[in-house]
Amino acid sequence: MAQIEELYNAILKGNRKIVQEQVQAAVAGGMSPQEILFESMVPAIREIGDRFSRGQAFVPEMLIGARAMQAGVQILQPLMDKAGMKSLGKVAIGTVKGDLHDIGKNLVAMMVKSAGYEVIDLGVDVPVEKFEDCVKNSNVDVLMLSALLTTTMPYMKTVVDHLKGQGLKCRILIGGAPVTQAYCNQIGADGYSPDANQALGLVEGFFQKAS
Amino acid sequence: MDNAFYLDLAGKHGGMPVGTDLVLHEQPDPQAVKMDGGRLGAVIVEAASRYRTPVAMPLMDLMLEKRHMLRLLGIPEDQIPTWHFPDVPTAGARARIREGLTAALDPQLQAHVDSISHVARTTSLHAVGMSIGPFSLATKLLGDPITPVYLSGMGMTANDEPDVARLDAVLELAFQTVMRSLEAQIAAGAQSIFIAEPAGNKVFFSPNQLEAGADIFERYVIQWNRRIAERLRAAGVHLLFHCCGELVDPMVQAYGRLGASLISLGSSRDLVHDAGLLPENIVLYGNLPSKKFYSDELISADEVRLQSAGLRSRMRACGHPFILGTECDVLSVPGCEAQLKAKLEAIVNT
Repeated sequence: MAQIEELYNAILKGNRKIVQEQVQAAVAGGMSPQEILFESMVPAIREIGDRFSRGQAFVPEMLIGARAMQAGVQILQPLMDKAGMKSLGKVAIGTVKGDLHDIGKNLVAMMVKSAGYEVIDLGVDVPVEKFEDCVKNSNVDVLMLSALLTTTMPYMKTVVDHLKGQGLKCRILIGGAPVTQAYCNQIGADGYSPDANQALGLVEGFFQKAS
Repeated sequence: MDNAFYLDLAGKHGGMPVGTDLVLHEQPDPQAVKMDGGRLGAVIVEAASRYRTPVAMPLMDLMLEKRHMLRLLGIPEDQIPTWHFPDVPTAGARARIREGLTAALDPQLQAHVDSISHVARTTSLHAVGMSIGPFSLATKLLGDPITPVYLSGMGMTANDEPDVARLDAVLELAFQTVMRSLEAQIAAGAQSIFIAEPAGNKVFFSPNQLEAGADIFERYVIQWNRRIAERLRAAGVHLLFHCCGELVDPMVQAYGRLGASLISLGSSRDLVHDAGLLPENIVLYGNLPSKKFYSDELISADEVRLQSAGLRSRMRACGHPFILGTECDVLSVPGCEAQLKAKLEAIVNT
């Protein structure tokens, strides 16, 4: 197995057209979707995330890289479905009720999806009933809650209290500008991340433990 | 424009937190107050009195102009907060907005304008208007505003990329809507106008692209705010420019060239450093971390006092005109009102 350098670099640069060309060429050359995804594409998106953590890349680079990657995944998806390839796990994400901010949520969703997980994006202004419905009916392993405002952050506790009270087993991770580890501890959430890259790390950590 | 008013204020005034939302939420019916210019004006006057400032800061509602624009398109009220342009606005939609902007204001925006009028007519306070900045308004009208900015920075144009075309068209409409709001506020007697452009920051604009020479920050943020600044100058109204997002130095310098009387920055900035980036006649305002004020664990009232004294002392030492304040308006958080009020009092009394 080998990394396709042009594909890796095209994701780093966010060049969607070249990503599509490279993926198509790799498929035509007989490489498996799994090999293309996990040898070239996922390492590229992880590299962007690491650059972000080091302050060398910024939100726009992460978004454009994830967008380019998704263009390649769209080509691979039918082949992966045909081969019976399963996602690494199922994650749901939403911005809590009263809060309309979605940049952070979208970024986390794209990073997690790009790393091979199935992501259900519940959108913004999500009430507790919708989170509950999703966890109960979609077999979600990890639920991620986002809030940007101090005025909406307390709703995370409402969601955590309600879902834990129902005895639902999924892990609840929280994030957003005003959120802290102390707040996470205070409301009994299972994890907190200050940025999208670390959020992906939390998800990966959870699934590694679970397996 | 002569900046004597704010320079004088910086010379003699203590802290000046933006606490209008806290006073609003002490009312039994805050939503009804937001629809009534007289009552909203009274809230603004009460906030100025409580925080002992001659500057009457209005409510910072950054949804007003979006609501006004989308009502012109007939978007249902319950969809307005999350509604985005799915495509490049059609010629018909653009014409409908332009035409609508010459007619009456949306009731809530009218109440905002009336509240400024109330302050200007009935008090000797310095009446301040408020609007979201054009780029920040455009970001609220698009599902993904970041990607087209980046693509534009890569050299793609509206002809190459539909996303860029949509951003360009929506930004033009956003500017026209903001100007309509500003004209009404100027006519109502605003002596200063606070332009909140929180999206003009490094989440939306990659510092890597700016460093490589992309002109996206100029094209998408600065040129529109320059036109606003010119209009305000012509009307004899002070520009108070606000961006609480994370910035790199060239962004702060670009804001400094707008000719604002006062610049308000977020707590991620070191104001002593920024003083060196800005002309000496621009008053710096801020920048205590008010987004953490809801929690005593994150910051106590004593720490607010310490930070207030420390920041004031450092700014005095650097000699740049400065007014101590909050990094943004202080939002009322249910259950945390006492903590919030104690911290605003700490600013005023330090």
